[in-house]
Amino acid sequence: MRLCLSAAVIGGKISSLMSKLAGGRGSSLPGVVARRIYSRSLKKLASQIKSGVIMVTGTNGKTTTNNMIAKVLEAGGRRVIYNEEGANLITGITACFVRFSNITGSLDYDYASLEVDEASFPKVVKEVKPDIVVVTNFFRDQLDRYGELDKTVQVVKSALESLNDVTLILNADDPLAAQLGLLTGHKAVYYGIDRQEGTERAVAQTRESRFCPRCGTELHYSYYHYSQLGGYRCPSCHFKRPKPDVEGTDVSTVNGGYSTRVCFSEGCSSINLQTAGFYNLYNALAAFAVGRLLGLDNETVQAGLERYTPAIGRMERFRYRDKPCLLNLVKNPTGYNEGLATLLSIPGSKDVFMALNDNAADGRDISWIWDVDFEILARHLDELQSFTCSGTRAEEMALRLKYAGVPTSRITVIGDLESAITVSLQGEAETAYLFATYTALWPSQSILCRLAEKEEQHAVGMSSVS
Amino acid sequence: MLSVCHLYPDLLNLYGDRGNVLAFLQRCRWRGIPVKLSEIKMGESIDFNQVDFLFLGGGSDREQNLMAAELEKHRDKLKEAVENGLVILSICGGYQLLGKFYRTINGEEIPGLGILDYYTVAGEERLIGNVTIEIELDGKTVKATGFENHGGRTYLGNIKPLGRVLAGYGNNGRDGTEGARYKNVFCSYLHGPLLPKNPEITDHLIKLALKHRGMEAELTPLDDTLENMANETMLKRMLK
Ligand SMILES: [Zn+2]
Repeated sequence: MRLCLSAAVIGGKISSLMSKLAGGRGSSLPGVVARRIYSRSLKKLASQIKSGVIMVTGTNGKTTTNNMIAKVLEAGGRRVIYNEEGANLITGITACFVRFSNITGSLDYDYASLEVDEASFPKVVKEVKPDIVVVTNFFRDQLDRYGELDKTVQVVKSALESLNDVTLILNADDPLAAQLGLLTGHKAVYYGIDRQEGTERAVAQTRESRFCPRCGTELHYSYYHYSQLGGYRCPSCHFKRPKPDVEGTDVSTVNGGYSTRVCFSEGCSSINLQTAGFYNLYNALAAFAVGRLLGLDNETVQAGLERYTPAIGRMERFRYRDKPCLLNLVKNPTGYNEGLATLLSIPGSKDVFMALNDNAADGRDISWIWDVDFEILARHLDELQSFTCSGTRAEEMALRLKYAGVPTSRITVIGDLESAITVSLQGEAETAYLFATYTALWPSQSILCRLAEKEEQHAVGMSSVS
Repeated sequence: MLSVCHLYPDLLNLYGDRGNVLAFLQRCRWRGIPVKLSEIKMGESIDFNQVDFLFLGGGSDREQNLMAAELEKHRDKLKEAVENGLVILSICGGYQLLGKFYRTINGEEIPGLGILDYYTVAGEERLIGNVTIEIELDGKTVKATGFENHGGRTYLGNIKPLGRVLAGYGNNGRDGTEGARYKNVFCSYLHGPLLPKNPEITDHLIKLALKHRGMEAELTPLDDTLENMANETMLKRMLK
């Protein structure tokens, strides 16, 4: 059996090497090969993890949260393996273990922290038993999967029910994620963000299920952070936003990042993030909760979060001559609305680039862009100099902006990504802000790496926002 | 003043279908036609006589059922308004609901509002993908593109289809029809949403609404370069 595993790992490693020589990224290929050689590869490799397995699932924020957790654990001196961005199906997770294993198939790590695709979650937990499961949120994603949000929640819930002895780390502000504590009966640690003064965000946003998961009554909200995240309670049963065990309060923006006070049972501390985007606070609070649960002290957790560098397209920063450029992956209305809020939080004038592709991984149905609140842009035209639309559905993106009230004189359609990015970088505004859907992200990033310089995490490229 | 009514936007907000309402409103505004939007929520009353353009979308199963129960209360008045020429656009789930019934996989028949003569039968596989149809509008043939995503197959009775399928599935993937049309009611499975990149349909609806209100129905032409580019991209891709 050991021989099988070793053969599988060697096979996987060779395939990875071959694929890299051929110029591919090959992030899940080693997993495919290893599983074909020995179907129990993942199970055998994962069983060697010494202290625990953490899984992160949900719609938005998986990659960032998982990377933050890994940094926090590493700051505490733990040896951690974690999967590369995007490789969150069972093959990608197997590939991650193959990569960290030696050729005899043995692994010497304390923790595995794995982001897991929601639909793959049941399959993965059959082979790898998690000790901690983080559920970030549930939003509508890739709209080909019609009306499947309820189904996705159901799939994750059933898989959680099949587990014993697991601790859930749940977003208290999302009723769809928070309900899992109640419904599965597992031990749950909740994280959330307290009501914020003056940060009442766009009310017209498309929101997910506003209905009580227990009794179906429409939930009452006293405030929203974004989408269906906020303070809610059911008027007819006792379901309501659980009091968070780890709660962010007094959120402020500093140097293009965020800072928040974070309170928990033993006291309060603070988190400073170098990353823009309000939603990243949630990811940091989840990582904070994991760190606390695993016994790390506040300083270690904070040090880990400071070490976090955004993964590709998660507010990755570049510099073109003296112009800061930010790259933002967008895949659903909620994420896009948050991206727009971040764009508008940056001071000064902006050239905006928007790439919309309709390949399978983006969702072939692009109707979702009509659920994004682009109308907000029409109210800030004084600071938005140009809009360059690109990708396979560039014209549709431009059309969306037109109907949102952006004058067509500021909109340019350039299907080719490189020419379009060049136009945005060379625009006269102070900052370039680039949005890209999934399959437009990698090419956009490599174009940026060629045309501009990638910035290090602490190089604060923007003046203070207050 | 034209009055646009979006039914239950709080419930039926799937698939960017609110883009249809947006397109109607904007194309009125750009021409200086005064227009106002009222969004009707669950439990609120509606006076169809005050409405010039009514939009009804679709939702997930649970929301669809809530909508059906709510609309049942307004059924007779809605039917009367339809007969009197109210301009309606109804997409996907809303389209199905105006018909006679929806037969589930188990053979159970869920009654619709029974205002229009067609019925829908659930199928095993969902019909998903880009779709192109050909529509006759005032004697002119228009090619429209969109995205369909429906489990139900709709079969028309004594009623005209909205258009003919050039690529994609349409009503049922068999008879080449797409949507339904009765008096000033337009029904379709096309998301995308339908109206923004098919401006001739939008303008046709605006004209009908103006006429229904007894107003001058000549429309100032608009610059539709982007609209046509967006439509052309998909026509080129689908009608190779
Ligand atoms: Zn309840």
